[in-house]
Amino acid sequence: MGKHPLLSEAQGEKILLLGNEAIVRGALEAGVGMVTCYPGTPSSEVVDTFRRIGGDGRYSMEYSINEKVAMEVACGAALGGAKSLVTMKHVGLNVAADPLFTTAYTGLPGGLVVLSADDPGCHSSQNEQDNRGYARLAGLPCFEPACAEEARSMTRAAFALSRDLEQPVLLRTTTRVSHMRGPVTLHKLPDKKELVDFTKNPMRFVPLPAVARKRHLALREALQKASEIADQSPFNTETQQQNTSLGIICSGVARAYLADALASGGWEDKANILELGMTWPLPEKRLSDFLNRCTRVLVLEEGADFLERDVRALAQRIDASATIEGKNEILTECGEYSRSLVMKRLAQWFDCPCPLKPAAGQSQELPMRPPNLCPGCSHRAVYYAARKVFGDDVVYSSDIGCYTLGIMPPLRTADFLFCMGSSVSGGSGFSKASGKKVVSFIGDSTFFHSGMTGLANAVFNHHSLLLIILDNGTTAMTGHQPNPGMLQESLGEGCTHLDIEQIVRALGVTACKKIAAYNVRGLMKAMTEYSDCDGVRVIIAEEPCVLYARRTLKKVSNNVAYVAEQNEDTRRCLAELACPAFYKDGENIAVDETLCSGCMVCLQVAPKSFKAKKREGGRS
Amino acid sequence: MSSQGQRLRIYFTGVGGQGTLTATNLLAKTALMCGCDVVAGEVHGMAQRGGVVESVVLLGGWRSPKLDLGEADLLLGFEPLETLRGLPYLRQGGTVLSSSDCLPPLSVALGTSAYPSLTTIQDDVQKVAGKSLFVPCRTLGREAGSIQSGNTVLLAVACTLQSLPFTLDDLRTAIKTFLPEKLHQSNLKAIELGKAYVEQQ
Repeated sequence: MGKHPLLSEAQGEKILLLGNEAIVRGALEAGVGMVTCYPGTPSSEVVDTFRRIGGDGRYSMEYSINEKVAMEVACGAALGGAKSLVTMKHVGLNVAADPLFTTAYTGLPGGLVVLSADDPGCHSSQNEQDNRGYARLAGLPCFEPACAEEARSMTRAAFALSRDLEQPVLLRTTTRVSHMRGPVTLHKLPDKKELVDFTKNPMRFVPLPAVARKRHLALREALQKASEIADQSPFNTETQQQNTSLGIICSGVARAYLADALASGGWEDKANILELGMTWPLPEKRLSDFLNRCTRVLVLEEGADFLERDVRALAQRIDASATIEGKNEILTECGEYSRSLVMKRLAQWFDCPCPLKPAAGQSQELPMRPPNLCPGCSHRAVYYAARKVFGDDVVYSSDIGCYTLGIMPPLRTADFLFCMGSSVSGGSGFSKASGKKVVSFIGDSTFFHSGMTGLANAVFNHHSLLLIILDNGTTAMTGHQPNPGMLQESLGEGCTHLDIEQIVRALGVTACKKIAAYNVRGLMKAMTEYSDCDGVRVIIAEEPCVLYARRTLKKVSNNVAYVAEQNEDTRRCLAELACPAFYKDGENIAVDETLCSGCMVCLQVAPKSFKAKKREGGRS
Repeated sequence: MSSQGQRLRIYFTGVGGQGTLTATNLLAKTALMCGCDVVAGEVHGMAQRGGVVESVVLLGGWRSPKLDLGEADLLLGFEPLETLRGLPYLRQGGTVLSSSDCLPPLSVALGTSAYPSLTTIQDDVQKVAGKSLFVPCRTLGREAGSIQSGNTVLLAVACTLQSLPFTLDDLRTAIKTFLPEKLHQSNLKAIELGKAYVEQQ
């Protein structure tokens, strides 16, 4: 098999890449030596790609246990001399913020690029926080690509800047940029890694208060230098027009929407444009010069109004007379922008008609197609058992993963959720304050991420909750990345399996049972036994993710379920288990053989109605 | 083929697991291979759990990786209900090419909501579209050797009808260049079936 195109030595070749793949190429061109991550949409393809292409020994990589750990390993590697990359989704940066703020003070001579993949529009996230705020808060130079080619070139530039300034640099994408595909021109791959020798200097790298005070000054100096670099940066470009004193300042993916909106409206000559790709620190000289040449300025940025506020503050400082506008009722701080939204805003600002035509509406209500737990998903069996035993008499504290889909009827086993790991600690506080019974659900990867600390706390502080660990042996939601719970044979040589039950017991939990997740009766018995106890109780429901079992472990059941008898129990099973392999065939209920995984949970729920038979042919 | 000047916006829609994103990627790579300016956009994540998967390919110099309602020149629907749901993305007079093979969502399978009839879907499509064709993609895909190659049937239909600025030979080359070898045979067969289906109309 030939080399992966991302490792191609060919220069000048143009290939189509996903934004996240282009980041990988940029990092390779920069000579990245260490890559760490915690997977999370829309960032996951970056590190999954590093894993897939192997890398010819160019870099080391790991799936860390959580984002804070990933950040710390990457910071350590950068101090150890390697150009390092750490990748995560936007909310992951909240977890990783602590080491990031400190290393912005101490600096990292090897160079560190932090990828934050933000999710405006909440395509697969619990909020749409704008992590450009972290650039301002921690003091990180920030790059914001708007296309795949820039994802490559800015990643490369971010590494160069990071090594030059010895400061961590933020590479901030959004879902649309991470998941767009576009042509990328390949540049030279370096021959060898250049490591920066570590020179011991505790009075720089150990942030005692006296050290930190000095390093804060060093950070401000580095940012001053970065601002001058931003003034000269090829990623900050200006398009000047004759005969207009209007100006638009634009950053991030909004630059793409602006370009298309101007072209669609035939408005290219109506305003001067200043596009910012290196967005922090502000290119102050450049912005000042632009402001001084304009009478009216519009700031276009998706997400928070960071740039707008900064431009207003700068204008006040330099006494610029331009009128500045930005967010309003059309372009708000919520949701994603688009070409047509930008066109509406521009038409309003230019005070000209908007050429957009209205779209056809939907003439009827359509049946929805929400995401669902897969046929044969072991979470469904556990949720069914929990609903049978506890009904609505308990409060269900859920967590982040596929199993959050337990919120859907008829399972309805998610009543609240804050963030990764909160099922345990949030559940602890809830039961303490309310006296109500709490049943918490957490997946294996999330347990390692931040459930273990909450569990230690629950034991230590005598909290009362039943924690059910849904152990499917992989990080299913984000695409089956490894975690310490994964079987040793799947992990291979580079990682060591950790046993969840041993950890739970080592944390001081004495009431702990491990049950096969397809064993509905076993689950119900354990749940019933633990339902009236006080203290911390743990049930580990174990069964490989059905997709992972089929695709990676190559395990497929030879049997499928079929309906042997149409009766009240068959209908009850359909209503209460609602497996996506069931379907109504007229008045009758049937099982779609191509969808049935052969988990045989329905045979336990309604033994007279469902029976097993040999699967005919192969799976489609 | 040179179509740098031609601006074309394509909206793809289908169901998680159907291979909608693979088809999107194949078309985008075909475009780059043919010298077209191209940008494609996808959303990953929750979609793969049996939800709706939408993506776009924009040809001819667009920079935005997404589409708004009323903007698509061509809608490629890999499932008829999703074609209908995605219809507001089509501009008045645009083209709709869709699979006619239904994949009922769970609520329909469980009998709690009703799947609109194919006639209703086609009627609604015709109200907006200037041109439309429904093709039994899954059936033809299965005939070609894999259900997933049904997506290639639809791409071949689009090329044959000149709804896409590429020839069937461009598509054949792209399949041989960009898809793993074990998929070549079924996808090349799928092209023939797509072409034949159009010629029978």
